[in-house]
Amino acid sequence: MQTPEDHDAHEGTSDATPGGLPGERRPGEAVFAAILAVASIVLLWNAYGIAGFSALSSPGAIPMATTAVMAVTAVIVLVKTLRLPRTADETVSRDILPPVVIVMALMLVAYGILLRPLGFIPTSALFLVAAIKILSNRSWGFTLAVSLGSLVLIWLIFRIVFTVLMPAGIVPEAEFVQMLRDIVQGGSE
Amino acid sequence: MDAFMSFLTVFTQPELLLLVGLGTFAGVYVGAIPGLSVTMAVSILISFTFSWDVYPAISLMIGIYMGGVYGGSRTAILLNIPGAPSAIATAMDGYPMAKRGEAGEAIGTTTVMSFFGGFIGIIVLALAAPLVSDFALRFQPRDYMLLAVLGILLVGSLSTGSLVKGIFAGAFGIALGAVGMDPLTFTPRFTFDLQILRPGISFIAVMIGMFGVSEALLQLHHVNAPAIRQQINRIVPSWGTVRKHLPLSLQTSTIGVIIGALPGTGGDIAALMAYDHAKRVTKNPEREFGDGAIEGLVAPETANNAAVGGAFIPMMTLGIPGDAVTAIMIGALFIHGLNPGPMLMIDRPDMFWFITGALVMANVFMLIFGLTGIKLFTKIVEMPRAVLIPLIMLLSIVGAYAVNNSITDVYWMLGFGVFGYFMRLYGFPLGPVILGVILSRLLDDNWRRAIISEREDLSRFFHGIFTSPLSLVLFLAVVFIFVSQTPIGGWLKRAIFGRAKP
Repeated sequence: MQTPEDHDAHEGTSDATPGGLPGERRPGEAVFAAILAVASIVLLWNAYGIAGFSALSSPGAIPMATTAVMAVTAVIVLVKTLRLPRTADETVSRDILPPVVIVMALMLVAYGILLRPLGFIPTSALFLVAAIKILSNRSWGFTLAVSLGSLVLIWLIFRIVFTVLMPAGIVPEAEFVQMLRDIVQGGSE
Repeated sequence: MDAFMSFLTVFTQPELLLLVGLGTFAGVYVGAIPGLSVTMAVSILISFTFSWDVYPAISLMIGIYMGGVYGGSRTAILLNIPGAPSAIATAMDGYPMAKRGEAGEAIGTTTVMSFFGGFIGIIVLALAAPLVSDFALRFQPRDYMLLAVLGILLVGSLSTGSLVKGIFAGAFGIALGAVGMDPLTFTPRFTFDLQILRPGISFIAVMIGMFGVSEALLQLHHVNAPAIRQQINRIVPSWGTVRKHLPLSLQTSTIGVIIGALPGTGGDIAALMAYDHAKRVTKNPEREFGDGAIEGLVAPETANNAAVGGAFIPMMTLGIPGDAVTAIMIGALFIHGLNPGPMLMIDRPDMFWFITGALVMANVFMLIFGLTGIKLFTKIVEMPRAVLIPLIMLLSIVGAYAVNNSITDVYWMLGFGVFGYFMRLYGFPLGPVILGVILSRLLDDNWRRAIISEREDLSRFFHGIFTSPLSLVLFLAVVFIFVSQTPIGGWLKRAIFGRAKP
């Protein structure tokens, strides 16, 4: 059923059909499995440190049981992965971590860093304009119209309808909302 | 007669009717937008409706609840991102259908089946509330524990991939849920002496990261591929389709009501169990499960909406929430001076019948809004990926931030997004992680309660399991699922059924 040509087949877009190549090892898969195995063993050690084997009802009982399961299954996965032949037609930079994924992930981190000091609206505007420009490679007019238009819509829904408070940062948001309320209330009376 | 009048309250007061309708409409979109959860919307509504009367407040919440449980399926079908946890199973077959251009049929079937399931749930709520609460009363802590394990194993068995990876994912989820201060003894667990880990990791951040960001990152692989054009011609499914799946939908609705009525377990587990049930009982699906089988839509969607009615059963009769949303509603009733529990049914039967009536109305509105306005909705899918991906990322960030107003949650979400991205690439299922996180607390509490009541004696614990029919059934179910997924299970199956089947 799964063929290398069918791209979605090994991307794990659904839980019913998780990714991976059946019978082959993808680039980086062994490293990932090794990291999981080591991390699980560290967590098991940490879980042992919670309460040791003091009692079956101790706060460490379930953590120890689950991390033990994690360690065992992760080691099984690692051994199975190492036994598989490496796939020939995939590379890290094309199939696992294309540059665009790294760039977008870094932009998300930058968003997190800038959100507090700069505020929701300027950060989101920067993020959307940059991301849509990079990804779509369309004209600046298109990029600005689409990103700013959708930002206004998102802001209205979240800020006004759901009253989700995002960091205001450098934008005098509260004053603006109050102004908007005054207009709406003035109009309805 | 009084009961009937209370039942009709919502139909006779246009204001309440309007609020239920508004709530349902909003709920469909809240459920559909990834990162906006029904739980979140209802908890925000509590502060909104603080000064309202109790009827309008409950009307709005019930609408959001019913609409939101259904709305998650839309995004699951069209984008393969479950808008709500109860739609995790829906994505498995809904998205393959949408990819084939059958999104209209998928949405139509989902809507009608959700309506059907919702009604079954309400009927059971109205008729059998006392009976079911009697049954739920008999559940021992060990039964809750077994049920949690069963739920997690089921997700692993849902997967076509490796069960070992599924079990790893489930155990990882339970461990994640245990991070922070242990609520019973206040012992730090997995905190590595870091202040930031003490309150634990927000489950919503994990969920949005795993399902929102990791999907968006994966979609970047083919950002230039043309968007899927959805030809949504016929939304109302044919009577034949509905009738053909009526027996299955009755079964899965029953599963939904029962799971919904169990304290703590809501539409998400009901949907997954119903999906698994459908997978087992459907002998000759037109398409394989996971490849767009319509049974794979019918089962979870009837079950998760049936679970809504079910979730009200323990809430109204025992004061124990059937799921997270009813937990918040209990809070809302408290604010309005009502004390949900056995006495509420005796003192204020009108409240119970009013809620039943509002649920019926919300269910009808859900059908109406579900079968209309899809053109508007599918515009989201026809957006080019270059626009859609940044928007999903932005919504994910807002969703993760808004729950606790915490930038830390945003970083958790990003971290789990990247981790989930690699898990997907290397064949680990993500569903068990989320289920593990949700059930971690339940599993832990009930294990400790069970083993303490058996005086820390494992042999007494197992003696308890083997002498209680209910525990035994649950225990055998866990063993069965585990064994049936291993080579021994395959061998046993062949040994037992080998000659019966050609």
